[in-house]
Amino acid sequence: MITFENASVTYPGGVQALKDVSVQLNDGEFVVIVGLSGAGKSTLIRAVNGLVPLTSGTCYVDTNEVRPKDKKAIRDLRAEVGMIFQTHNLVKRTTVLNNVLMGRLHRTATWRTLLGTYTKDDVELAMQALERVEIVEKAYVRASNLSGGQQQRVGIARALAQEPKVVLADEPTASLDPPTSHIVMRDLKNICRELNITMLVNLHFLDLARMYGDRIVGLRGGELVYDGPAADADEKVFEDIYGRSLTAQDMLEASDAA
Amino acid sequence: MSATPSLGTDAPRGVRPSKPPPPPFALWGGIGFVLLTIGFSWDWTYGIGFSIPDLISNFTLDPARNPIVAGVIDPVWETMTRPAVIEGFIETFQLAAIATILGGIVGLPLALLNSLTGAPNKTVYILVKNFNSFIRAIPDLIYAVFFVAAIGRGALPGVLALFFLSVAVIAKLTADIVDGIDQGPIESARASGASHVQMVKTAVIPQILPGYTSFALYTFEINLRGSAVLGFVGAGGIGTIFSNYYQRGWYDRLVVVVIGFFIVVFIVDRISIAVRKRLL
Repeated sequence: MITFENASVTYPGGVQALKDVSVQLNDGEFVVIVGLSGAGKSTLIRAVNGLVPLTSGTCYVDTNEVRPKDKKAIRDLRAEVGMIFQTHNLVKRTTVLNNVLMGRLHRTATWRTLLGTYTKDDVELAMQALERVEIVEKAYVRASNLSGGQQQRVGIARALAQEPKVVLADEPTASLDPPTSHIVMRDLKNICRELNITMLVNLHFLDLARMYGDRIVGLRGGELVYDGPAADADEKVFEDIYGRSLTAQDMLEASDAA
Repeated sequence: MSATPSLGTDAPRGVRPSKPPPPPFALWGGIGFVLLTIGFSWDWTYGIGFSIPDLISNFTLDPARNPIVAGVIDPVWETMTRPAVIEGFIETFQLAAIATILGGIVGLPLALLNSLTGAPNKTVYILVKNFNSFIRAIPDLIYAVFFVAAIGRGALPGVLALFFLSVAVIAKLTADIVDGIDQGPIESARASGASHVQMVKTAVIPQILPGYTSFALYTFEINLRGSAVLGFVGAGGIGTIFSNYYQRGWYDRLVVVVIGFFIVVFIVDRISIAVRKRLL
């Protein structure tokens, strides 16, 4: 369970990215966060693992408060929270397997990391994670030799290798084409269902949000403007979240056709 | 009659900004550069007394009046196979290799800490940055003079001098690429709960490794060339032979060693460039 209580974030430049957000997200839920660019989606997601510290209010993962200043506590918390990025964020010069094993770092002794070795169990977990996203045959290929969609699946495997309770995904489909976007979203949905992992996914395509989300959280200008089941979120709701009428660019399929 | 260029836009959209003035640094830098150039090229009373007519009148290729020319046109090729010369070349290679390896080992952590990405906090970053600047500020010849004075003539002061030169070069060049790497993998390592050391090892080092290796090879070239000069202050290597022959006026032998050194450096340079091309 993830709980935000009056969470606000003001960046050093003075931009207020989150304004007094209070929301509770349940275990195993597939939550899609929607909003325009700059609405605070990335900030909200990064507050969960402390990559962005709250300037006021609190955030809890289960009963643990996210406290980025406490180095030990925040590392323990991050170990339980996997993260998937828009730009995949793989180390391109090394193998797919090494990238997935980065998900095991928290459980790995520093001397092992310095020598560049991992335990047999960790390698086994990494291989299983790669099998789940159906890309295990690329385990010893350099990450730079994979396509964008394949790289994103490696990113998902890296998050899975952490054996997380929560997975955060920051615009996971934004740099992918429509068919690949669906593969990635389907993978995330399956992981959520089968492993009972709470998913927090930022999206800006309405059709993807409705198709895969259990619940939709809408942000506008850093404020929570919608929170409800994905099934109830019709065009009127999205127009309200975006503060403008919808266009073809708001749909993955339509924007591709256009 | 040239017509006003047009993109066919019917009505103006938005307000055109006025052209911003040039940034003050570029402006004053440009003015300063021009003033310095005029100042240095003026015919001041004090200075190095450089004059082109003197240069021409003193210049001669007549072997009878110029002993160096006499040596160059009549080289003693057997010098190349003299044990002392061969030893000098080997010693130069050893000096350069040991200094590069040790400098590479010490230079890598100093490069990582000389960047906000690699340093655990700002204090360490500032301390290491200043330490690196200090090492870099001292020329290799001064290091050599210092170590010869401190521990005597021989190869050891040469190794130490080239070691500091290597650390300075490798730390500086590698730190610059640490600042420019992709921040994405760093964020993902942090997000997975990795410690700072683990993050540096898994997300930073793979990204800088090709550059670092390339700079280490380049440093080997620099050390090879540097060892030619260090012999003049008693710090070993082929420079000892240069210094000896030069002081005795054995220009006919000196020219052979210089040619040999040129060939060695040239070959190492070619190999190094070819290897570095494949790394980057």
